[in-house]
Amino acid sequence: MGTPLDLFAAASAEGAWTVGEVTRRARAVIEAGLPPLWVRGEVSGFKAWRSGHWYFSLRDKTAQLRCVMFAKQNYLLPAAPTDGMQVFVFARPSMYEEKGEFQLTVMELLSTEQGGLWKLAFEKAKAALTKDGLLDPARKRRMPPFPRRIAVVTSPDGAALRDIQAVIGRRWPLAELIIVPAQVQGAKAEASVCSALNRISRLPVDVLIVGRGGGSIEDLWAFNSERVARAVAGMPMPVISAVGHETDVTLCDLVADLRAPTPSAAAEAATPDRAEVLAHCGVVAQRLARGLRMSSRRVVERLARTGDRLTSSMQHRLEKSRALLTAHSAHLDALSPLRILARGYAVARDGDGRILRRVGQFPAGREFRLRVADGEVAARVQAAVPPLRNAERGSGGEAGGEA
Amino acid sequence: MDFGKQLERLEAIVRRLEAEDLDLDEALKLFEEGLERLRAAREQLAQAELKVKKVLEIEGLDR
Repeated sequence: MGTPLDLFAAASAEGAWTVGEVTRRARAVIEAGLPPLWVRGEVSGFKAWRSGHWYFSLRDKTAQLRCVMFAKQNYLLPAAPTDGMQVFVFARPSMYEEKGEFQLTVMELLSTEQGGLWKLAFEKAKAALTKDGLLDPARKRRMPPFPRRIAVVTSPDGAALRDIQAVIGRRWPLAELIIVPAQVQGAKAEASVCSALNRISRLPVDVLIVGRGGGSIEDLWAFNSERVARAVAGMPMPVISAVGHETDVTLCDLVADLRAPTPSAAAEAATPDRAEVLAHCGVVAQRLARGLRMSSRRVVERLARTGDRLTSSMQHRLEKSRALLTAHSAHLDALSPLRILARGYAVARDGDGRILRRVGQFPAGREFRLRVADGEVAARVQAAVPPLRNAERGSGGEAGGEA
Repeated sequence: MDFGKQLERLEAIVRRLEAEDLDLDEALKLFEEGLERLRAAREQLAQAELKVKKVLEIEGLDR
């Protein structure tokens, strides 16, 4: 509380306070002494101004309070309260100095008709979960494309389980359905659901459905418990929640990786459709056949290319050999004795074809044959001539030819 | 074999056949494996009955 007012200081006319001083002082005292608080009461005299601000009174059997809720606060609400509605407000007590009225500046307003205290608890738990990052959209996991094991936490004899089983049986009977019975309503529901979740967290399960059929908003309580929400957030596999109403989202819905409007919808979200997968297999089969065709065509093309390369390399070699052959034969031609004979030389040979190289091989009277460029001549030695001095290096055949 | 893995392998085979320069031998081997996996996948899809277990009966499930 602020400083107590000294009433006697203002007892004389000279010391009188102005109205503004009083209201300013009163406002300071109120704001210092009363922190923001939750107030419960009935709405009356509700009026929404063009500015978007709301003005109304909260009252109970004995008293009433003026309230204002500014546009920047009330735009988040789904609807305006109506006169006679029981509400909770979270408000800052203050003094509206222009009118000298004690007033609540309302920051949050909850209708008891929409869940009342439950809603209050919900908002608190939601704030705590948000603070811990558990509602972060980045945490949401994708569903496995082809789940092998699907677990369901739900009431063992409810319509929810029948629906889930029917849908999974139709869409994806390859999966194994693991049912973990839990009490989803009543005082034991929270503990029962938590223990079911705990058991599943230790099982090899690909996706989990937390399901629940219809029921009133109060029946959703277990799925609005912070304990259950934290257990759901901590599951090692993706979780689909199908426990809310269309209008009421539960904490379990918010924390889960996916929210489904009904248990059937949850089962659909958890599974691929067998017929679609079968059609996909058909496409894969076509691609497989086409792939083989492509592969073999590539092999054939490669063979053809290799063949071409082989042919062209053979051709190259052949041409090289041919050129070499031409060169060799020109060389051979140059060395041919016929060419030498053409230059005017002759070769002398005896009757057996032996070449006669030395003067000694030409005794007088010997007959021999002389090979010239265009044929042979029969010849006879008329007289022997003594050998030339340099006959050692010369070729006898040539010398004899002169005979 | 797990259906997802089966399909993954099948698609890897198809991609290799489509994209890679393979020996005819290797291509044929892949094709045959693909056919076998396709047959197995279709057989799995043909399964009609959903297996349902209550948690009390599955304590022996290994991770």
